[in-house]
Amino acid sequence: MARLSLVAGLAVLASLASGQAAELPDAIRQAGALHLTVNSTYAPMEYRDPASNELVGLDIDLANELAKRLNVKIVWSETAFAELIPALQTKRADFIMSGISDRASRRETADFVDYLVTGPQFFVLAESGSKVAADLCGKKIGTTRSTSFPAEIETWSKQACESAGKPAAQYVPGENSIDVRNQLKQGRIDAAVQGSETLPYAQQLEAGKYRIVGEPISIGYQGIMFRKDDATFREVVTSALKAMIADGSYKAILDKYGLGANAVREPLLNAAPQ
Amino acid sequence: MKKPLVAIRKISKSFGEFQALKQVSLDIWPREVVCLIGQSGSGKTTLLRCVNQLTAVDSGGIWLDGELLGMREQGGKLHRLSEPEIARQRLKCGMVFQRFNLFPHMTALENIIEGPVQVQKRKASEAKFEAMELLCRVGLAEKANSYPSQLSGGQQQRVAIARALAMKPELVLFDEPTSALDPELVGEVLAVMKELATSGMTMLVVTHELGFAREVADRVVYMDQGVIVESGSAKEVLGSPREARTRAFLAAEV
Amino acid sequence: MSNAPALAEGFPDLSSLRIARESHWGRWLTAIIILAIVVMIGRAFAQGQIEWSYVGRFLTAPVIVQGIVNTMVMAVLGMALGIVLGIIVAIMRLSPNPVLKSVAAGYTWLFRGTPLILQLLLWFNLALVFPTIGIPGVWTARAVDVMTPFLAALLGLGINQGAYTSEVMRAGLLSVDIGQYEAAQAIGMGRLHALRRIVLPQAMRVVLPPLGNEFIGLVKATSLASVIQYPEVLHNAENIYYANSRVIELLIVAGLWYLLVVSILTPLQMLLERRFARGMVRLGR
Repeated sequence: MARLSLVAGLAVLASLASGQAAELPDAIRQAGALHLTVNSTYAPMEYRDPASNELVGLDIDLANELAKRLNVKIVWSETAFAELIPALQTKRADFIMSGISDRASRRETADFVDYLVTGPQFFVLAESGSKVAADLCGKKIGTTRSTSFPAEIETWSKQACESAGKPAAQYVPGENSIDVRNQLKQGRIDAAVQGSETLPYAQQLEAGKYRIVGEPISIGYQGIMFRKDDATFREVVTSALKAMIADGSYKAILDKYGLGANAVREPLLNAAPQ
Repeated sequence: MKKPLVAIRKISKSFGEFQALKQVSLDIWPREVVCLIGQSGSGKTTLLRCVNQLTAVDSGGIWLDGELLGMREQGGKLHRLSEPEIARQRLKCGMVFQRFNLFPHMTALENIIEGPVQVQKRKASEAKFEAMELLCRVGLAEKANSYPSQLSGGQQQRVAIARALAMKPELVLFDEPTSALDPELVGEVLAVMKELATSGMTMLVVTHELGFAREVADRVVYMDQGVIVESGSAKEVLGSPREARTRAFLAAEV
Repeated sequence: MSNAPALAEGFPDLSSLRIARESHWGRWLTAIIILAIVVMIGRAFAQGQIEWSYVGRFLTAPVIVQGIVNTMVMAVLGMALGIVLGIIVAIMRLSPNPVLKSVAAGYTWLFRGTPLILQLLLWFNLALVFPTIGIPGVWTARAVDVMTPFLAALLGLGINQGAYTSEVMRAGLLSVDIGQYEAAQAIGMGRLHALRRIVLPQAMRVVLPPLGNEFIGLVKATSLASVIQYPEVLHNAENIYYANSRVIELLIVAGLWYLLVVSILTPLQMLLERRFARGMVRLGR
């Protein structure tokens, strides 16, 4: 009887184990590798180390850890931010984990497993006279135009400035976060908005140059973006992520980049409010 | 004592290694027609171009109407004149080129009035009137509004002569004016040149047309290898040359 | 006729035979194959993951039309600046003055030798090097206020174009027979006077066709100004797809507009060439 239950138990374990692997999509299982595409211009999430030119970042570390638990390798590729969603749609990437925000407008053809708290954050040059967010009404605020931040600034300006009788903030477009910081340094803009997850890195690069103003103007999440028809695969990755949170490896990676404060307690599905 | 119109004293010119002129001296008197003859490479064209400073001399001097060309003597040394000053000095010479060099984007009339209006700042109406007179003189009044591409070689050269005359120069330089023409067109150009000579214009003509030289030239100058070999009246130089080199050249030319 | 020698025997009289028309079946076959390939590609595009409704919707969107207008404005102004600079630099390059010659050669080397996108970014970010610009005592301003995307794009594109145009102009000036220049000198013109009245007009007839070609290239080069926020058509198309994620669809919209512009400019250029070729025939001896 004991031998039977041992065999049965082994069989169940075996089926569970192979079942786990069986839930990975065929293409990934056969290749033994995940194909991931990132926009490696977004420190500290994913970027090329200037010294070694290696692909590094918080997303890279998290993804590597996930892949270890799923028993697969990762084949990395890079592309522009605007090409990330097409890469997912054309199946060039198995999922997108590239500092991409969970947004309702993106959920038409995708689902997000939220893994990092983020939010657009004002910052200014250290010597700027602006102390609180309200000081930025009527000022020129720059941000990367390919993100959702221009819309966020407009919403904030309507609520915090125009409804209080103050002049509206002026949005000035920038190509990427480095361009935006350049314009801040030259005085073309008075303040800038970046995802809160990027600011510790920027401040570390140029110590004492920038100062954060106020709280993030909205709360959002960075999510791992899956195709809608990949629900089973999505669940597999979510469980692996849960395990990482449980055993502390998730927090360790976040702390490595100074983003311990942006941790989620557990992976959320499509949880971003906008 | 009368002074020559052009006084050339010991001018030399080299192009790299090649010495085109070796200490050449020559006088040209007012109303004289001087023909320069010789083989190509003899220096005759270079000499011509030095007179209107299209080519700058290396040493020696040329005086035109008593004025030293291209240079100013100061403190025992010679200083080259500026470009505008040289341009002003060129106004006294007209030049007729072997390949006519008419301005193709202008009509015959416009070619002729270009200098007077643009450089001498004369009134266009006055310049046009005189230009028509010149065109009549060279026998091309009806071609006033034709473009150079619509004219034969001989006609173009006659317009070129009119263009040179429009500047009212003191002498006209001719650089092998008929060498680029078909034989049947040579005559009309030589006829104009003959008329010009008869009217008293000072002319320095580089040419291979020995018949023209015989008929019209007051003096013929034979050059070879950068020096003047022989100089004298047309009858002397062409009829009974003193130098052996002259004789050899003339024999080959026939 | 009776004195002509008799013709040899053995050669038949073909004068009454007609020459048959060639069938060119090879050409027909090739054409059919090419047509089939084009149809296949067209079908793939039509049935692919491209939402053509978005293309139709945004093709005449006001912000797109404004974008192509801005593209053309910048192309025309940039070309004008490029031609003016090109003429000046070409004349400097051919000057007897070694200082002018070196400056011209240096300008051409620098602006042809660096990527246009770098030049645009440097102009736009000029304030990193010159925070204020102006004439001391007369007028100063913050560089960021003066160097708007429009001005940075104009300077970047125009000055870059000038380097290429100067080479075209130099070739044009050299193409004019030196006898023209000497004839101008012979009637007392100075160097610049001769260039202006005699040499340049003749050079322009030679350079206008290649300049037309450069202009068509410049129309598309304006798309680089999108990175310095000049609102030309690519920039505006990008803004739309940043919001709705329809990357390929919006790029097709921009591409169709560029295609339209070039389709109009190409026959215009041919007309220009033909008109000045007529002049060229007039120039012939």
